[in-house]
Amino acid sequence: MGSMKRKSLEDHPSEESNSPFKQQRENGLVIADESVVCVHDVSYPDGYVPPASPPSVLEGSKAAKEFPFTLDPFQSEAIKCLDSVESVMVSAHTSAGKTVVALYAIAMSLRNKQRVIYTSPIKALSNQKYREFKEEFSDVGLMTGDVTIDPNASCLVMTTEIWRSMQYKGSEITREVAWVIFDEVHYMRDMERGVVWEESIVMAPKNSRFVFLSATVPNAKEFADWVAKVHRQPCHIVYTDYRPTPLQHYIFPSGGSGLYLAVDEKGKFREDSFQKTLNALVPTTEGDRKKENGKWQKGLVAGRAGEESDIFKMVKMIVQRQYDPVILFSFSKRECEILAMQMAKMDLNEDDEKANIETIFWSAMDMLSDDDKKLPQVSNMLPILKRGIGVHHSGLLPILKEVIEILFQEGLIKCLFATETFSIGLNMPAKTVVFTNVRKFDGDKFRWISSGEYIQMSGRAGRRGIDERGICILMVDEKLEPSTAKMMLKGSADSLNSAFHLSYNMLLNQMRCEDGDPENLLRNSFYQFQADRAIPDLEKQAKDLEKERDSIVIEEEDSLENYYSLLEQFKSLKKDVRDIVFSPRYCLPFLQPGRLISVQCTKSNETSPSFSIEDQVTWGVIINFERVKGLSEDDANRKPEDASYTVHVLTRCAVHRDEVGKKTIKIVPLKEHGEPVVVSVSVSQAKSLMLSSCSLVSFSLQIDSLSSVRLIIPKDLLPLEARENTLKKVSEVLSRFAKEGMPLLDPEEDMKVQSNSYRKAVRRIEALENLFEKHKVAKSPLIEQKLKVLHMKKELTAKIKSVKRAMRSSTALAFKDELKARKRALRRLGYVTSDDVVELKGKVACEISSADELTLTELMFNGVFKDIKVEEMVSLLSCLVWQEKLQDAQKPRDELALLFAQLQDTARRVAKVQLECKVQIDVEKFVSSLRPDIMEAVYAWAKGSKFYEIMEITQVFEGSLIRAIRRLEEVLQQLIQAAKSVGETELEAKFEDAVSKIKRDIVFAASLYL
Amino acid sequence: MRGLQVSLNQTQKIRLQRSLEKLESLSSKTNRNASVTVADTIPVNYEDGVLKGHGTSELDGEVVATLCGVVERVNKLVYVRALRARYKPEIGDIIVGRVIEVAPKRWRLEINFSQDAVLMLSSMNLPDGIQRRRTALDELNMRSIFEENDVICAEVRGFQHDGSLHLQARSQKYGKLERGQLLTVPPYLVKRRKLHFHHIEQYGIDLILGCNGFIWVGEHVGAKDDMVVDQSSKSEQEDVKSTTYPTSLEEQERTYTPLETRQNICRTANAVRVLSTLGFKGEAEQRSLKKKKG
Repeated sequence: MGSMKRKSLEDHPSEESNSPFKQQRENGLVIADESVVCVHDVSYPDGYVPPASPPSVLEGSKAAKEFPFTLDPFQSEAIKCLDSVESVMVSAHTSAGKTVVALYAIAMSLRNKQRVIYTSPIKALSNQKYREFKEEFSDVGLMTGDVTIDPNASCLVMTTEIWRSMQYKGSEITREVAWVIFDEVHYMRDMERGVVWEESIVMAPKNSRFVFLSATVPNAKEFADWVAKVHRQPCHIVYTDYRPTPLQHYIFPSGGSGLYLAVDEKGKFREDSFQKTLNALVPTTEGDRKKENGKWQKGLVAGRAGEESDIFKMVKMIVQRQYDPVILFSFSKRECEILAMQMAKMDLNEDDEKANIETIFWSAMDMLSDDDKKLPQVSNMLPILKRGIGVHHSGLLPILKEVIEILFQEGLIKCLFATETFSIGLNMPAKTVVFTNVRKFDGDKFRWISSGEYIQMSGRAGRRGIDERGICILMVDEKLEPSTAKMMLKGSADSLNSAFHLSYNMLLNQMRCEDGDPENLLRNSFYQFQADRAIPDLEKQAKDLEKERDSIVIEEEDSLENYYSLLEQFKSLKKDVRDIVFSPRYCLPFLQPGRLISVQCTKSNETSPSFSIEDQVTWGVIINFERVKGLSEDDANRKPEDASYTVHVLTRCAVHRDEVGKKTIKIVPLKEHGEPVVVSVSVSQAKSLMLSSCSLVSFSLQIDSLSSVRLIIPKDLLPLEARENTLKKVSEVLSRFAKEGMPLLDPEEDMKVQSNSYRKAVRRIEALENLFEKHKVAKSPLIEQKLKVLHMKKELTAKIKSVKRAMRSSTALAFKDELKARKRALRRLGYVTSDDVVELKGKVACEISSADELTLTELMFNGVFKDIKVEEMVSLLSCLVWQEKLQDAQKPRDELALLFAQLQDTARRVAKVQLECKVQIDVEKFVSSLRPDIMEAVYAWAKGSKFYEIMEITQVFEGSLIRAIRRLEEVLQQLIQAAKSVGETELEAKFEDAVSKIKRDIVFAASLYL
Repeated sequence: MRGLQVSLNQTQKIRLQRSLEKLESLSSKTNRNASVTVADTIPVNYEDGVLKGHGTSELDGEVVATLCGVVERVNKLVYVRALRARYKPEIGDIIVGRVIEVAPKRWRLEINFSQDAVLMLSSMNLPDGIQRRRTALDELNMRSIFEENDVICAEVRGFQHDGSLHLQARSQKYGKLERGQLLTVPPYLVKRRKLHFHHIEQYGIDLILGCNGFIWVGEHVGAKDDMVVDQSSKSEQEDVKSTTYPTSLEEQERTYTPLETRQNICRTANAVRVLSTLGFKGEAEQRSLKKKKG
């Protein structure tokens, strides 16, 4: 292994150990290879004394496994840590080759006759890894919710959930496992499932060692510190940004015809070509601006009348330039399919490849029954696959998904349309990755893809050893600011933050153990660790702020403060009035072109607001106004009064360009120097926020008042002179009215504002104005400065308050209140006694982890399952496992609907008790999370219908339904255990019957990887 | 037992009286007929969809008790809790048992259950604390861990399909019990609590209340629990560890139990005996009584 001594790196913990104050001794060494950089760091637990003779028993002995290729520095670093029997966290890109470390750990454990566990977040990934390891080591077993193969093997592949429940049950494996490998550990930030990782890591056997494989996370060190603390053992970090194949990032403007290089393989952002991209985009944006508004999924806009769609052009270009195979990511299953349909005309495969595909396809489908082979999804898939085009998303039948993965790995699919799920897991790279959209719907709104997501997905580009570089193409269909693009393309990875939360199942399982204490788990959680870590920082911050505040001394502070608060009131009242008067309802009829309008000047400095009663205003001319189309669809149904509008106003602005080409625009008084520019001011029910369409910058702007004067404005305002002239006219008008003041539209008389709150506000403003005059401080010459100082002081005080609040919340045990509340709920429902001994009900709930444990336990103890038929029971349980929202699902038949109502009642009762016990829960939301959408389908399935028959009843995706039924089986298995512990044999038999009824055919077809 | 005529001596009469009183007190006012004997019908009148739990069966459409005891109801579940029976294990129970056989890869333990419990070699931590697969050598050395007639403390892990009971020793605090006494009391006298391990500091003794009615009173052994508590205790634990595995003569001397402790052990054991004959339940009373004696 000559190649392994690329860079010699030694751990010398003894060197730095002499500093007694440094609790966390670390020694970081950076190896700077020419191109490949990897950072190696070690976290030691507090007070850790390195063993006198490092446990390098293996020194001189052979490496546990040798690889036929040269190892990258980060790989050999990580392996060195393994050799010295210490935990390691490897953080690198997906394609970098982290599996090598896992393989080595497995080989090492097998050599030492120890058990090793490999956990991954996804069942499919576990299946694939099982196959991979089985080929390599043979003594490998698999445990997932679906299958168990050889559970006595030395190397066990499983999902993290299984590993967690094993630890709760105290399986013998926990006493034999020397190494635990957590793959894709960055899943820990997953809102729903992340907590499983934290539980498993905290509860893991103290004497075992860990290998964490994760995508690049900036706070890998923090994670390692946590592991070191919880397990009192050193934990190494090997971090690398290195990609074996460098990436080039291109942008493809929609409607355009070419690619523009945005970031080259050295990681440099190309400003010039980025600007070109934007220019290429401009014509489309202005051309059919109206048409495109509100349509974010531009990829869906199929070619306009006979024209080829963007996506078609794109694929054609990729094939021409031989950039294939290509993965095209989109963010919804439907979109994925629609895009693939647009490829209908394309054929990317030769005849012999087609024959190959057909053989592979049918040999895989062989395990299906004849009826299932006729499923539309199966029969429709083959023709497109044969043309070299594939689709991969969670709605597919699992077997199809696997066939497609296999075909893709064999290079028989040239162009794969996939959702984000394809970016996790097994190494399935392509030469090119295309993002068909730059925005993603995240539950409530469309947002930009985060840099972390971008990194994960773009990691699929570039096949190691085949491609010189990977290509990433971003299809952009709207204006993208350079900063946004830069952030997306070059931003850092998302950091690993805890998504810890409590569940009843967790609490009960902890309470059931003699020495298990939920508080102990909380105290050791990564969440708590991160919170604790922030405290010293916060303390310092608070101290600094306090010092700063105390250093500010003001004369006559009391009266000044009085004045200040008056001023605040005055301002807020003014704002209220403005909000009323300039709501579209009232002002819309007066926004004709040519009307003079007064707008507030942009403040020169955001941090120091002015303190005069007069606002700085300037005048401009209204050009036109238009309705703003929001992102949400319901906009169209809104009444005209409620919608938002933008007013385009011509006024004088100081335009300032900084070196990057970013423009900042400030509105200045007419007399000052500046360019005449059209700015837009938004008028909406909510806040006045300016959305600038003619500049790249947005800032807030407010209308101050409308005048009754209107000017005639030239039609064409594009030439600078025309605009200059118009503004001159404005100045003329202004000087004409200089003496008596500009005639303004009176809100009450002219604009017919009739609202009590308006009148009230106006009266109060008058009263306040009187007060101002009388106030003695107002006469003071330095009032302005003094107020500014006071304002600063106030802000500091507010800041200190918020810092202190943050400190208080983090010193307390995180989740302490919630823990108390949840325990209270458990006691109230009779799951545990007052001294935390788990009762019968609690024991039942302990067994249920795949669905809502409380609702299910209550259902069972209320005897709901007792009298209903097995099919009805299965159908009822389906409501608890189905999570997707279906828009217009048909209502289930009466008997089922009745059962569902019963379920809702139970759920509501459970939720209400929780609410009474001060658990934060939204009762209605909780109840409506139970969905009856697939009740009919599952009922039919339990009755023995064929799969194609039940697919006709419901509109859900095949894959989703299969997943739900599989999960249902999991729940049933847990219920069998629960019934056993109660001693209710009839119910147990019923559940077993239910399992046998649903566990058949295509739904439980074995994975191709097994 | 109402209206049952049996000839009894004085003591038995008193005991019967007591237990009947107890039954009455246990049956709350709300549901009468809470105490049942075998073949008594358990009234479930108005309810439908009743779940029949342990100790019940269905006969001619009626729920019938198959045990003597108290009827318990949880929502619609009805089951009978026997007052005096053999120990019925539940997952997570702490038990004390005696090794009766060393079998391949496992020890068999007498735990006052209808079957012997099984403690697998793989279900306990090896003395060296290393995480590894058990080898044939480990199997040969099983007697060096536990021998026949050793008293062991363990936790109920679960039931196999054939109904046999599996135990486990989750952490270092389970395992062999030495230098003390094993007492046997009826299992129903031991209440399931959060804590079954008690360290009575003023006497330097450990009291382990096994759910199966086996109670251990012995000299205090430092906790070797390595669940993270805090940093400082760790080093202490290290020290303790070394004392619990005597290797040399010197150390053996250190494990000598002083007379005072021995006396305390006996006294406590006697207290437990007295309490159990009197039929007191739980452990709080026992502790308070001991304090009085001290």
